[in-house]
Amino acid sequence: MPFVTPLALAGLVFVPLVLAMYLLKLRRDPAVVPSTLLWQRLVTDVEANAPWQRLRRSLLLLLQLLLVVLLVLLAARPFVERPAGLARDLVVVIDTSASMQATDVAPSRLEAAKDQAIEALRDLPAGGSVSVIAAGGTASVVVNATADIAHAKEAIRAIGPSSNAGDLGDALQLASALAARSSDAQILVATDAAVTSLPEGALRAPVKVLRVGRAADNQAIVALAVRTSPSGLAHSVFISVANLGLEMATRRVEIYADGVLREARTLALDPQRRTDVSINDIDDVTHPASVVEARLTSPDPAALTSGATAGRDDLAVDDTAWAVVPPAALHRILLVGPGDPYLETALTYLPDTELYGAKPAAYGPSTHPEKFDLVIFEGWLPDTLPAGPILAIAPPASSPLGAVSGTTANPALGRLDASDPVLRYVDLSTLHVAQAQQLELPGWARAVIPGTGASPLLYAGTLAGRPAAVLAFLPRQSDLPLQVAFPILCANLTGELLGGSQTPADAVAPGAPVTLAIPVGATGVRVTRPDGTADELPAPTAGAASVTFARTGELGVYVVTPIGGRADAGASAAPSTPAASGSQPATPAPATPPASPGASTAPTFRPADAAAPARFAVDLLDVDESNIAPGDPARIEALGAPAPGSSQGPAGAGSNPGASAGAPANHGAVAGAATPAQSRDELWIPIALVALLVVLIEWLVYERDTLVRLRRAATARFGRAPGLRR
Amino acid sequence: MSAPSRSEPLAFREASGATRAAAPAAGHVARRGTGALLPSDLDPTVFDEGFLRQLERLGLLMKQPARGGLKGGRRSTKHGQSVEFSDYRDYALGDDLRQLDWNVYARLERLFVKLFVEEEDVTVTFLVDASPSMAFGRPEKLQFAKRAAAALGYIALAGEDRVVVSALTGRVARRQAALRGSGRVFRLLSLLSAIRPAEGATDLLAAVRHAGAMLSGRGVVVLISDLLDPAADRAVRELAAQGSELIVLHVLSPDELDPPLQGDLRLVDSETGEGVDVTADLATLDAYKARLVAWQDGLAAAASKRRASYAPVPSDLPLADLVFAELRRRRVVG
Repeated sequence: MPFVTPLALAGLVFVPLVLAMYLLKLRRDPAVVPSTLLWQRLVTDVEANAPWQRLRRSLLLLLQLLLVVLLVLLAARPFVERPAGLARDLVVVIDTSASMQATDVAPSRLEAAKDQAIEALRDLPAGGSVSVIAAGGTASVVVNATADIAHAKEAIRAIGPSSNAGDLGDALQLASALAARSSDAQILVATDAAVTSLPEGALRAPVKVLRVGRAADNQAIVALAVRTSPSGLAHSVFISVANLGLEMATRRVEIYADGVLREARTLALDPQRRTDVSINDIDDVTHPASVVEARLTSPDPAALTSGATAGRDDLAVDDTAWAVVPPAALHRILLVGPGDPYLETALTYLPDTELYGAKPAAYGPSTHPEKFDLVIFEGWLPDTLPAGPILAIAPPASSPLGAVSGTTANPALGRLDASDPVLRYVDLSTLHVAQAQQLELPGWARAVIPGTGASPLLYAGTLAGRPAAVLAFLPRQSDLPLQVAFPILCANLTGELLGGSQTPADAVAPGAPVTLAIPVGATGVRVTRPDGTADELPAPTAGAASVTFARTGELGVYVVTPIGGRADAGASAAPSTPAASGSQPATPAPATPPASPGASTAPTFRPADAAAPARFAVDLLDVDESNIAPGDPARIEALGAPAPGSSQGPAGAGSNPGASAGAPANHGAVAGAATPAQSRDELWIPIALVALLVVLIEWLVYERDTLVRLRRAATARFGRAPGLRR
Repeated sequence: MSAPSRSEPLAFREASGATRAAAPAAGHVARRGTGALLPSDLDPTVFDEGFLRQLERLGLLMKQPARGGLKGGRRSTKHGQSVEFSDYRDYALGDDLRQLDWNVYARLERLFVKLFVEEEDVTVTFLVDASPSMAFGRPEKLQFAKRAAAALGYIALAGEDRVVVSALTGRVARRQAALRGSGRVFRLLSLLSAIRPAEGATDLLAAVRHAGAMLSGRGVVVLISDLLDPAADRAVRELAAQGSELIVLHVLSPDELDPPLQGDLRLVDSETGEGVDVTADLATLDAYKARLVAWQDGLAAAASKRRASYAPVPSDLPLADLVFAELRRRRVVG
């Protein structure tokens, strides 16, 4: 029998030591008795009539010798070898995507996958190394090529679930890169195989899949949106529930507004179908909703129609979704120029905006351009540009916004990028421009409407920390104002320049990084996660406008609070209401157009307080991840390199974790390997159990007299012992 | 005419006025604290008035009448002067005419002389083993032996028997002068209390032989010993063969009946100093107890064979239980 540490067999030297201690004469305590008459006869009797009486002492000796031998064996760690079922260098990929939280196998698919992976490590050959990759939204190496199997097992056990949509592709590519370091490597993937995207191209090692999961019964919220009604006072919720199982299911949808149940509906969900629900007026009259939560719960049994069943829902993580009601913010736009009715009209109809006007002659420091969210210069530019967002329309001369080299007539449009947010829903195919300024695209901007050559017609970007855009032509010098695209372009352009809210308005996918705007004057933001923990994110550079937050793995509502410079931020981050500000900025200047209806009357919405906490929601809302139907492991295994020695590709790698059918093929396959890889099974557990048993028996033998006395005392006290009852 | 039954008590009577007076006298002496009369190792409260009165109602039983010396209260094998008719015999010249049964002469016209049972005393000898082994036990075996001898001796004195105390030490028996009459009870107690454990080994057989040589006529011999001697059974046999009625009180201490020993020990003999190595585990102790029972059974069988009474008694047995229960049950007293 081979040993891991044969040197420990030197401990057998204790065997003669124990024998020597027994051979040494015992020192007996003298005890004076009246007479030894009966004792002398007794000793004679015992020695004469009970020859095995001496063996009773020897029994202890034998047990102690056996114990010494067992302990030495334990220290020497004997093992048996068997053919290994895995390659010498193993990369274990544990799928931790949201679908692995399904409970169709107890306690969850992730736990089952971890158990299978740990069990599979038994087939690792002696001296093999293990790398462990956790494949959540991103792939991360938990353990890198360790020969300490216990450490690898511990790391696998420590892997926790994530709510991210799985990206097994990244993990497989990473595993392939790790496996490429060795000529005898294998990738072991513990997953439910419910993946939609797989990496293209082959991996550089054989892949074996340990598949978990059986059922596909799941109902999920796959869409949640909140819309403000035209009145601006109420909100409606759009929710889409998908039944991804194969059987009819009944579910109850509950809508909570700021934690208060506002609506509940019971839905009968057809298999493999989506059901859309729209719920209006979810607000309390006196308290507009700020966070809407949708929950998918089991229906009240009484509410089920006859014959209907609630159906199983094995994945709970997609049964809750949150949506943040976009905060109502009032934006102020200052239009400086001679006046353009088309432009003024288009700007006036922008929602949540107040339009102010000023003649170029009246523009100056007293206009307080810094109090406006956007300043539009139409055909004119001041010497000093304001610090806030700027839209320059047909700038007359070169400026920091861009160099003007002249005027061009009838410029043609270049190829438009339809994915540009400014051009969203904007159709410029019939645009004709009579005259435009000839501009050069500066380095800080991107061309939104490229012209012919190097002269763009519209470009936008961030200049010295502020959004800025330049339109090369006056609207009235084109047929743009006559087209449907004009108000849409105005809305998109101002929307980009105004920057939207501090936080993303739409739900964020778990694990996805989020760009958070830092209010002016604040030194950073504090993000409070749904579980109550908070992260402080200081601005990466002084004056940075935003910061990126990536710890969005938890589903729920995140609260963003500005930190530092709060007092200043309140004054400068956003314009205060006209009544609250000390001086009326531009209002003395006669607004050329009539001010927007919203401005002339009492404002409907308060302007957003930049110091107030903002919120964003992280939702799964991923129908692919909610589809927990176990996939075909062969798809993943087909990506792997052919198993060494197997002529028909990766067929040797079975999906059954206990099978080691590929092992025999490996034997002759490893070219140059003199001996086939062997796995070791250490035998310390049975030896330790036997040692414990021997210790117990030794104690019983040593204390047998006490035990017999106790039994006699019990018999004397309680009568016949229960065990002697006949 | 039939002979009296052997098992019939020969002396059973009410305590006399003289013996009644002994009890308060004992108390009086004890209060004076004269150690010579009432030694300190004999607790006077053991012999309180009630206990003594109970003792006075008892008598030592003999299986057969024996010839004594002086006139006493116990039936003798001799014919003599008493109120109990025994037999007739033909008149011979010189007989006392007062003994003629004139009623028989009237019917048969023959002269017969009436014979009566003679009542004599017997000698009750207490052989108290004073070997060093008797000094062990809790309570001490010798102490118990002396108290038992005192109680039985008082019974004998009250029954108008003679009492002799012998201490078995070494190879000899130290015989004290005979006592007679219940008034000598304090002398008896004094003699008993003077017995001390001997130094050195005691040869029980030799001491018993010595004591047997000093016996005169048939009587009662009470041997009080732990019999922890290799020749104990032989001593019992030889003593029983002396002709006297033998009563063996085999005294063992509770520690000898159930030794509180444990572990690897070297047991040292208190008399010889010899050592025995013993591992006192449960099996060994069980074997010891079995051996002890077998040994006692052997002694009992040897005693029974010689018509002797054998009573194994633990040294923690209360004296009242010994006298009124154990010895009455064995028909030693009655």
